[in-house]
Amino acid sequence: MPQTKLSIRIDGELVQAFAGETILTVARRAGRFIPTLCHFEGLRDVGACRLCIVEVSGSGRLLPACTTPAQDGMAVTTVSPRLAAYRRMTLELLLAERNHLCAVCVSNSNCELQALATAMGVTSVRFRYRYPKLPVDLSHPRFVLDHNRCILCSRCIRVCADVEGAHVWDMMSRGVGARVISDMNRPWGEAPGCTGCGKCVQACPTGALAEKGLAVEEMTKRGERALQGAIRQGGRL
Amino acid sequence: MSRIEDISTFNAVREAGLEKMLPGVPRIAVGMGTCGRGNGAEGLYHAFHEEIHGGGVAAQLTGVGCFGPCSEEPLVNVAIPGKPMVILRRVQASDASRILSDAAEGRITPDLAWCRVDEWDHITAQLRYGHGFPELPLWREVPFFAGQKKIVLRNCGLINPDDIEEYIAVGGYQALYKVLIDGHPEQVIEQIKASKLRGRGGAGFHTGIKWEFMAKAKADCKYVICNADEGDPGAYMNRNEIESDPHGLLEGMIIGGYAMGCAEGLIYVRAEYPVAVHRLNHAIQQAREYGLLGENIMGRGFRFDIQLVEGAGAFVCGEETALIASLEGLSGRPRPRPPFPAQRGLWGRPTNINNVETWYNIAPIVIKGPGWFTETGSMKSAGTKVFSLVGKVRNTGLVEMPLGTPLKTFVYDIGGGAARGRSVKAVQTGGPSGGCIPQEMFDTAVDYETLAQLGSIMGSGGMVVMDDDNCMVDVARYFIEFTHSESCGKCVPCRVGLDRALDVLNGFTVGTGALPQLELLGELGGMIRDTSLCGLGQTAPNPVLTTMRHFRHEFEDHIIGQRCNAGVCGDLALSPCENSCPLHMNIPRFLQLFQEDRMEEAFDSILMDNPLPASTGRVCQHPCDNRCRRQTLDDAVNMREVHRFLADSMLGSDRFEGMLERVKVRKQPATGQRVAIVGAGPAGLTAAFYLALLGHAVTVFDSQERAGGMLRYALPEYRLPKAVLDREVEIIERLGVQFVFKTQVGTDISLNELDSQFDSVFLSIGTWKESWVYLPGTELRGVIPALPFLEAVAKGGAPDTPLGPRVAIIGGGNAAIDSARTALRLGSQATVVYRRERKDMPAIAEETLAAEREGARYLFLAAPHRIVGNAQGQVKALEVVKTRLAEFDASGRRRPVPTGEITRLECDSVVLAVGETVDQDFCRASGLTLNENGAITVDRFTLETSRSKFYAGGDVVTGASNVSNAMAYGKRAAENIDARLMGAGRFAGLFQRFEYEQIALANPSASPRRVSHELPASVRVHGSDEVVIGLSKPEALEEARRCLRCDVRA
Repeated sequence: MPQTKLSIRIDGELVQAFAGETILTVARRAGRFIPTLCHFEGLRDVGACRLCIVEVSGSGRLLPACTTPAQDGMAVTTVSPRLAAYRRMTLELLLAERNHLCAVCVSNSNCELQALATAMGVTSVRFRYRYPKLPVDLSHPRFVLDHNRCILCSRCIRVCADVEGAHVWDMMSRGVGARVISDMNRPWGEAPGCTGCGKCVQACPTGALAEKGLAVEEMTKRGERALQGAIRQGGRL
Repeated sequence: MSRIEDISTFNAVREAGLEKMLPGVPRIAVGMGTCGRGNGAEGLYHAFHEEIHGGGVAAQLTGVGCFGPCSEEPLVNVAIPGKPMVILRRVQASDASRILSDAAEGRITPDLAWCRVDEWDHITAQLRYGHGFPELPLWREVPFFAGQKKIVLRNCGLINPDDIEEYIAVGGYQALYKVLIDGHPEQVIEQIKASKLRGRGGAGFHTGIKWEFMAKAKADCKYVICNADEGDPGAYMNRNEIESDPHGLLEGMIIGGYAMGCAEGLIYVRAEYPVAVHRLNHAIQQAREYGLLGENIMGRGFRFDIQLVEGAGAFVCGEETALIASLEGLSGRPRPRPPFPAQRGLWGRPTNINNVETWYNIAPIVIKGPGWFTETGSMKSAGTKVFSLVGKVRNTGLVEMPLGTPLKTFVYDIGGGAARGRSVKAVQTGGPSGGCIPQEMFDTAVDYETLAQLGSIMGSGGMVVMDDDNCMVDVARYFIEFTHSESCGKCVPCRVGLDRALDVLNGFTVGTGALPQLELLGELGGMIRDTSLCGLGQTAPNPVLTTMRHFRHEFEDHIIGQRCNAGVCGDLALSPCENSCPLHMNIPRFLQLFQEDRMEEAFDSILMDNPLPASTGRVCQHPCDNRCRRQTLDDAVNMREVHRFLADSMLGSDRFEGMLERVKVRKQPATGQRVAIVGAGPAGLTAAFYLALLGHAVTVFDSQERAGGMLRYALPEYRLPKAVLDREVEIIERLGVQFVFKTQVGTDISLNELDSQFDSVFLSIGTWKESWVYLPGTELRGVIPALPFLEAVAKGGAPDTPLGPRVAIIGGGNAAIDSARTALRLGSQATVVYRRERKDMPAIAEETLAAEREGARYLFLAAPHRIVGNAQGQVKALEVVKTRLAEFDASGRRRPVPTGEITRLECDSVVLAVGETVDQDFCRASGLTLNENGAITVDRFTLETSRSKFYAGGDVVTGASNVSNAMAYGKRAAENIDARLMGAGRFAGLFQRFEYEQIALANPSASPRRVSHELPASVRVHGSDEVVIGLSKPEALEEARRCLRCDVRA
């Protein structure tokens, strides 16, 4: 069946779309930049991060581009001072929520959150940092789950359930206490469903899921004794 | 019991039901809703049961739901055959036997009877009880019920919810029968559309349109769902509806199922409603047995069944997509729409979700038609809405009112207004998703659109009334705490945004906030509202945004003033009394020091907080009384009288000099700064006291001959002996304050001269202009303004115009009462004419009473119409027009309107005591920025005027107020002037620390509140001796021991 063709306006530019496509798909194809964090190509969208909000004429509400279907004649605005302010505030909130310390993060300069913050000029956070005390799950032989870096985008959950078919990941609790869990909240290493495929690690936008051996402080040096000696010497000083 | 398969079996069931509703013996129906049970209805039911079955009494006992007025529970309906049904209130188990014996004799127990119901409109049927008991009011005549229209609540509290036959007896399932017989489901949808019924869950989407979407959706299986996940704090409409009338819900859903072509219905009810769950399960079972659910309903070939699902109590599961997720066994998290549930809902099938109350409206619309339904309510919002009216009103409970009813009807007419001594401040509608509507906007019609315009929502119908004991910052904080803990955590704005909003609000309530955070909070609120995924997040900031819009001053009080005037935020107040005192006197401290027999320190504590202790001990409006927590036990501690005792025993004793030395020790070294104070009234004297202690050279200018202002020239000697005031002024003088009397600033010395001679100027000139009433005859001889009259008498002379034997006084404030009592002392008769009722008078209640005892007469609900003179141009009579009280105005009092009925009051003079205003001429000439009332505009916190170096405070800023308010301005001015001259922080250093017991008394005195003694009225009215005699030392000590020490921290 041929796809129904639609035409919509994005920031004034007339763009062709197909029925069933989301605004995000159409806009990206047209070369527009709409920031996203919970969107991941190939996974179903959930509209959780709210970074991709756009203005649609005729609708009083701001709509997430990732889940709103394109409709014929629709006029979409992806860039406006209000959208920019809200998106920046969303990033500020994410940065305040957990312990995003780029300098010691395994994903430093390889992180979508960091990249977006840089791109959108989030140079400071006006809210008080929450600094929660969160654990790091090191039980898996190959991977690490660091809750301190997690932004609850649920990309790991979806890629594991929908692509790998293992459904190891899920979300527990609610509100600001929500946490990604493996299996029924057992350590990742003890989750029998995990195939060790690593898709979740690849899908993670931040340093929450990482391969072992890359994190800060995991560096070991061969001259062990020399180091110990240096520390002892320092202690005497 | 039989299956209903045709009209004859249907009628047979109805007859059986009617037999139960109107038995040949008295029917005793106990309100057994959760609210009734909470108040002891179960024990009451058992007591009736014992009496009836043990004693062989001929009566029928049944349990019903709740009739609405929760504050009157437990309720019992007694229906004696042929007589009206009578509602008894606050019935105890011990009342059971006498109620039964009275009923057996055809009587109603009089002390419990509340109102009667002659006939009841169940909408689907009428029930006639009978006539009689004319001494009892009809239910509609009771203020709580007046104006209510019970469509949704048509059966609540009247039928036994566990008995389907009673439901059928009052017309139940007739609508279903009609719909099935007609056989045109599309016509049902047309009817619902024409009725303009809108979703009662809060969003207000048109139900008919929603149904039409569903009916058009093609699928092998479709679902109708009832959303009974009611979770707003303070809202319990749905619980009561289900508990009282479960079949009403089922009938609505079955009709909906038929109209939309569904075979399955689900009710999602929260597990925290065990009674509702139990009754619903029972009702579903009964409906199946009677052939109203299941296969071949009513023999018409329609199949439909309903399943009950208990929710685990997550607030977010009231959101429809989260509710569907929960039904599917997933965690309750919303998903973005589209697709809408009508396209893809439960198990991917088209699904219709309506709120409990929406379903209750279906059967009446089907029976009575959409035209009947739209007669009620407003243009865009038809029908009624049930509200749970709770909070700071006298009458609480469930009320069902036509949509579009003004908010003030709920608060004042039905709710009965605030408790005594309080005033309603705001109403929160729509629970945590709604907003606060301030008292000034109580004319607002309660419907979907109007509330949305004010930033609130109707929501499911919660209506929480707040009075001046509620802190709006804390209210905002409370609701954000709620939504924060109920947020599902899926989207960032709601999950993290609410958490950070709570963090900012928490900071405000403990005094660590800053103004930029208030702006940030506003921005964050807008962002959460605009970008959240579901309704929870989108509406969660409403309480913050509306309180910030309407009560911004309270936020500023917390942030800048570090004060919570409501006394809720514990970190910002010492105790309720301290917090309510304009001067923030540390009242528990002097009460405790006194108890420890440290009289001198107790007085020092008082004097440093309040430099006119003996005067305020006599004439203060004592707001502390109103807030004292001792009131919850018996009466407030009489703090003012203890305060007066301590002041009198020090000022009048030989310890005065020693005390003065102790005060002088606290005086700071001379700063070389010169401060001018204009006006030697309470505000000016207070500022002078503190500024002198701070080491400044203070000069006070006043146009009069002596210091004291209103205290000296307006307050009569019998209330405040001038010798007392002299002693207080002496303290201030001896601290080095210079007084320049008989000098009118603006005339004798200009503001520019003050500016050049002084480093700072404080203007506290008060309000010395008497307001004038514009009515015919004020030009006559014998029409006297109150203030000059009182002033002339205070100066020891007689008034310029003799009063004559009969005086009429117009007004209801303290000046009116002072004038009346003064006139009595001059040998005249005094009649006070006031346009409202006694309880509305601004005068201190004790004064009003004292004047009455001295022989003053009151004419309430009377407004002056004209003053009549004789041929000589002398007052002869005052004509007054009788007023009646109309609707409530912005002051929370009923507005008096003239009726046209005029009476004549013979009198020889008329005193006008309708209020004082600022001296407009002075203010205008001052060149300072003024407000719309002509008063000087100042910064609320620093008291700076528009002119550099110039500060203002007291009545000239607020308009006529009272002594302690004026003094508070003086105190604040001193602090701010000093901070500007010398840098911040010195003021706090003036105050000494006291070490005293920090443990609350294990056994505070159980004595009742001591009131001070008075001279007998017959004696005092013949002289100017002080009327109120203070407490003796043992009495004052006992009174101090009544303090509960709210200031002690655990």
